[in-house]
Amino acid sequence: MFGSNNIKLSPELWERIKRVSEAGGYSSPQEFVEHVLDRELKKLEDAESDADIVKKLQGLGYLD
Amino acid sequence: MKFPSSKESCASRGLGTAVPLAILVFSLVHGHAHSGATLAYIGPGAGFAFLGSFLSIVAGFFLTLASLLAWPFRMVWRMARSRRGFRHAQAHRAIFLGLDGLDPGLAERFMKEGRLPNLARLRAEGAYRRLRTTFPSLSPVAWSTFATGVNPAKHNIFDFLNRNLKTYIPELSSARVGRPSRVLSLGKLRIPLSRPPVTMGRKSVPFWKLLGEHNVGCTVIRVPITFPPEPFNGKLLSAMCTPDLRGTQGSFSFFSTALAAATYESGMRYPLKRNGSIVTGELEGPDDPLLEGAGALKVPFQIDFSGAQPRLKIDGQTHPLPAGEYTPWISLRFRASLGVTASGIVRFLLRQTTPEVELYATPVEIDPERPALPISHPAHYAVYLAKLFGAFATLGMAEDTWALNEGVIDEGAFLDQAWSIFSEREAQFREALDKTRRGVVACVFDTSDRVQHMFYRYLDGRGGPDGERYAGTIQKLYERMDALVGETLKQLDGDTVLFVLSDHGFCSFRRGINLNTWLLENGYLFLKDGRNQSGRYFEGVDWSRTRAYTVGLGGLYLNIAKREAQGIVKPGKEAEALKRELIARLTSLPDPATGETSIRDVYAASDLYQGPYLEHAPDLIVGYNDGFRTSWDAAVGKVTAEVFEDNQKAWSGDHCVDPTIVPGVLFSNRAIEAENPGIEDMAPTALDLFGVPAPAWMEGKSILAPRAAKGAAA
Repeated sequence: MFGSNNIKLSPELWERIKRVSEAGGYSSPQEFVEHVLDRELKKLEDAESDADIVKKLQGLGYLD
Repeated sequence: MKFPSSKESCASRGLGTAVPLAILVFSLVHGHAHSGATLAYIGPGAGFAFLGSFLSIVAGFFLTLASLLAWPFRMVWRMARSRRGFRHAQAHRAIFLGLDGLDPGLAERFMKEGRLPNLARLRAEGAYRRLRTTFPSLSPVAWSTFATGVNPAKHNIFDFLNRNLKTYIPELSSARVGRPSRVLSLGKLRIPLSRPPVTMGRKSVPFWKLLGEHNVGCTVIRVPITFPPEPFNGKLLSAMCTPDLRGTQGSFSFFSTALAAATYESGMRYPLKRNGSIVTGELEGPDDPLLEGAGALKVPFQIDFSGAQPRLKIDGQTHPLPAGEYTPWISLRFRASLGVTASGIVRFLLRQTTPEVELYATPVEIDPERPALPISHPAHYAVYLAKLFGAFATLGMAEDTWALNEGVIDEGAFLDQAWSIFSEREAQFREALDKTRRGVVACVFDTSDRVQHMFYRYLDGRGGPDGERYAGTIQKLYERMDALVGETLKQLDGDTVLFVLSDHGFCSFRRGINLNTWLLENGYLFLKDGRNQSGRYFEGVDWSRTRAYTVGLGGLYLNIAKREAQGIVKPGKEAEALKRELIARLTSLPDPATGETSIRDVYAASDLYQGPYLEHAPDLIVGYNDGFRTSWDAAVGKVTAEVFEDNQKAWSGDHCVDPTIVPGVLFSNRAIEAENPGIEDMAPTALDLFGVPAPAWMEGKSILAPRAAKGAAA
């Protein structure tokens, strides 16, 4: 309940992250780290149920 | 057809800040007190999370007390810091008035006819340009670029939809509401012990956050792709694609004594039971998330025809229900297990009383006074607005276009709904202008987009028997937008910069093109078992042989190996060759019915975009010609019998075409130096106005001359 979601990174890794995120067009190193982690997690996670996904789109004016 | 008016705000204005402050204090306490029983999200798969009532009341009391005690110190601190924030400002206040979909061709024509005097004045005394839009020319893409000043590959919004790379099924690109990570199972009970995560799909950073970091406060009202609301130094009311209480993008209900239950494309039909002068029904809300398999929560209602006027009785309330008139927003409690409730708002319209009773109900929307999901920042801003003005539409695309498409409401009822929502927005906008002496107010009105979508057929001669009745609807729409601009001009002083802009223009949507069918006919897409048609969402598609597919509104995707779960096209040379082949074959595709060019151009995303999210982009952006758009079936991943079909829906105007033919508009009371501004330039312009340097990742450029002389039109 009171756990922290901060992660410590080595100074060298942090410098690499800053360089790559700036060159890559990210708004911040945080955005870059979150993107990379999100991409990797999606490969490992189960997909949301099709019915749930489809229901969320219902009513969007541009779609049938 | 009448519409009840919103609460007047004159009292709040007459008493300065006293009443709004009281409302704010009340809403902090009231909101927290209610949050104990209603702090819950309901939606497909998401479930509830709730706090105990007592804990919320206690927390709310102490938070409010602390906030009040700290208020004098915070005011002094804020004043000291804000002086620094405006030190290099060219103006003290900037207004971004968004009129979604305002088309330059129509605006220029109506100005020439003398119908838009305020926009004409702005053009004459300030500046006017056509505003380049994004690729593709869709509101979620364009407004995301407006906010961030970057191309879609840097903000990650390429369409309303993404496709899931594992399942190919389309999903909402802008926001994701997940399942609670911790759930306590007790028999059939499923008690969530954590909130469902609500994640923003748009990346990068909006200009209002950057300004806030420099102590320039911003109020952002209904700018698309702001759900869920992100924290920053300012206020924000979420917009597109905030869901309804069921977790959809807007599902209406239609009740009738004559008909059995049925499903519409985007809504449900329910039976009404008659017993003498009483007619009864049940309004469905969200699924019961606490009980497995329990189905939708329902609120029973009855219509009593025994008196002089029908009366609606629902959830302990009684409302007059005159035929042909919307009720005001009615707040309802959907009661789940364990005493947990979720609050929604809905309007009813009694369409017919004899020989059968027919009743329409809007989608059940999140109640801004007791939001089951975060819809504003700070959380109490929505509550504050609701206390001030009464309930208001919170759904992302609140105007019920599908109800009109399905014939459940007629054009008059749709317009009444659209203009009522416009009035709500206008009140919110005026309140923000009144309260903002320094900083930014950014507000988008959707009415101009929705009405053009639904009434374009009356402009291009497809209006049918009602053609004459609604022929002037779009002209009146532009005149009313012009009046809004006029009212805004009255609020300007010499130190306020005004921008009136739109995210894209408009054209006709007469013919739909199913590129999935074209791909099937030309050997790029295959179906199983020798079929020649598929179900929705690629049901029946043989991915082991399919090289390309389309879903959503603007793009074609290649079925890339190791990108898509069942991809077969090798990235690199093979993919590039396939892209170029498709571009060559699709560009200038003729409509066999008329010989007209249906696709002007096809653009490779890799040529258009640069940024970290390029991998999420459609591989090809299709530039449909005026009159054409991806078909309704193609947009949901269906293969049908024909490539070309007539569009016969009320939704008859669109802008999901070649972006070069649907630019937006940009008016300002200041001189604009840029000759060919794009919507990506608005964010750096906002920063430039307040002397805040644009970050290196921002691509747009300020449209103002460097430290230009002031030239106000007010």
